[in-house]
Amino acid sequence: MTRTSASLHRPAPAFDLLRVPGLGRLLRWRWGRLVFQAPLAVIAAVMIYDGLTGPKLAPQNLATVATWVHYRGLVVLALLLAGNLFCMSCPFTLPRTLAQRLARHGRRWPRALRNKWLAITLFVGLLFLYEAFDLWASPWLTAWLIVAYFVAAFVFEALFAESPFCKYLCPIGAFNFVGSTISPLQITSRDADVCRSCVGKECVNGSAQVLGCGTELFVPQIRSNLDCVLCLDCARACPHDNVALAARKPLSELTNAAWPRRWDVALLALVFTFAALGNAFGMVPPVYELEAALAGWLGTDNEVLILALIFGVLYVLAPVLAGVGAAWLSRGLAGGERIRVVLGRYAPAVVPLGFAIWFAHYWFHFASGALTIIPVLQSFMIDHGVALLGSAPNWRLGAILPANGLFLLELGSVLIGFLASLAVLRQIADNAHNDSRMARRAMTPWLVLLVLVAVLAVTLFTLPMEMRGMMTG
Amino acid sequence: MLARKTATRTLILTLLALSLSLALTGCQRASQQGNSAPASGVTMDFTIDPDPALVGQTQAIVTLTAADGQPVTGATVALKGDMSHAGMQPVLADAAEQDPGVYRTEFTWTMAGDWIVTVTASLADGTTAEQQFDLSVTR
Repeated sequence: MTRTSASLHRPAPAFDLLRVPGLGRLLRWRWGRLVFQAPLAVIAAVMIYDGLTGPKLAPQNLATVATWVHYRGLVVLALLLAGNLFCMSCPFTLPRTLAQRLARHGRRWPRALRNKWLAITLFVGLLFLYEAFDLWASPWLTAWLIVAYFVAAFVFEALFAESPFCKYLCPIGAFNFVGSTISPLQITSRDADVCRSCVGKECVNGSAQVLGCGTELFVPQIRSNLDCVLCLDCARACPHDNVALAARKPLSELTNAAWPRRWDVALLALVFTFAALGNAFGMVPPVYELEAALAGWLGTDNEVLILALIFGVLYVLAPVLAGVGAAWLSRGLAGGERIRVVLGRYAPAVVPLGFAIWFAHYWFHFASGALTIIPVLQSFMIDHGVALLGSAPNWRLGAILPANGLFLLELGSVLIGFLASLAVLRQIADNAHNDSRMARRAMTPWLVLLVLVAVLAVTLFTLPMEMRGMMTG
Repeated sequence: MLARKTATRTLILTLLALSLSLALTGCQRASQQGNSAPASGVTMDFTIDPDPALVGQTQAIVTLTAADGQPVTGATVALKGDMSHAGMQPVLADAAEQDPGVYRTEFTWTMAGDWIVTVTASLADGTTAEQQFDLSVTR
């Protein structure tokens, strides 16, 4: 918590969302977060209700359509344009106040678990469950997933004094944390001198009325969006009104060595990127051919086992080998530090490309089915005797982009992500080496990795998509 | 002691939430009640040509047979093809009666994968029969 004066210095933010007339006041208001959480909590409750009681067909159920089409499409858009808005509005943490009361004397999260290993495990686990149990095709399982989120968030908030669920466990949070490192907004202090002379440090410790930062971030030391759920409790708790949600230079977090040089943080970025490839791979014909081939070789038709092998390689083995391999080669070519340090330095470079692949995939679904929520909602309301949206669902509604526009969207997204990753990589290498020749040598293995990932992504998106999954029977 | 009290309260609240969710699983929306089997003892048969289905235009044929084995004529037959993934626009078609009890329409499979076709037949006596058929479409 103690830093030198120099480390606290930063120029005043040019744009601060918390100073925008009206919106800023709303965001800083004591119940400001509730304004965003409450509607999402209502939507989540309706999704659970429809998932458990409504149509068994995923395209006709609010739980599946809202989760796998709209949530995913909108969350990546929010991350790209603003920041971690979903965590800000997270309905799962709505019972936090009640849980915090229960946990007033709760214990601290174990020191050995204060890292991203559990979050990586749960992130990979959720993606595996998605494939193994066809979550996208099951309103019932999707509803139970939402229930599980509410229960898990509540239990961990209640049993521990801080917010371990958000920081160390939540798979959605892990995704959003990595995604938000490319976001244009970040929490910062308006005037570092005010923080320096602050006695109470209410932003992290909390005040009598407002909780402090649940993930225990100290505002003047924040250099990264990793771990920030954008709850804005820091802004509400600060007695000096000295917290800003400020615009920052694009990709600056990734080039400024803002991340701790830790294995878990670096591998989270790599898993995030390779999982983007793996998740898209799960929807194209080669995955079914690979499944069939593996079933033949292993002499088993146990699909869970086969999928565990495929996605274990894609989500775990590939990112570990690629990351450690690139770091090892980079060190070999340019000399210097330990593998962990090299990995930690260059891992942020993969994030823009990884995010772009997620964006391309999620927006394929969103752009091709955004309007399907309308007939689903119409059907839901008609079933409950409300004809506000018409007396019959209009099932002809679907895409917001023409089919040929979808591929351009995917291709453009991957291209932009690749170029952004390239820019980050070059900046990281230049920062690390005074000699430009050594910088080029150090970045070469990472450049090869980025090219491979980008080529694989484009190849995946050129393949015809197939949607296989649980049948109603 | 306090930690145990906290854990107990948390457990009770969690169990309450889970019980509520479990209770909901016993309920069904109005449109979902009893729509899986044809009404009025009508047997519904669904075939496609070519079979197995390929991406693109195909013929869908619905055959309606009454409990006494007689073809069901004069029905209005609507087909709705949904993919297993949420967010996919369904394929809709109305089948016309070409032979007694045999209703046929062109049906375009827009993507390879798993499809669920819901056939709804509005019968001449005012009753409705509805049934779902699963099939895989390949390239």
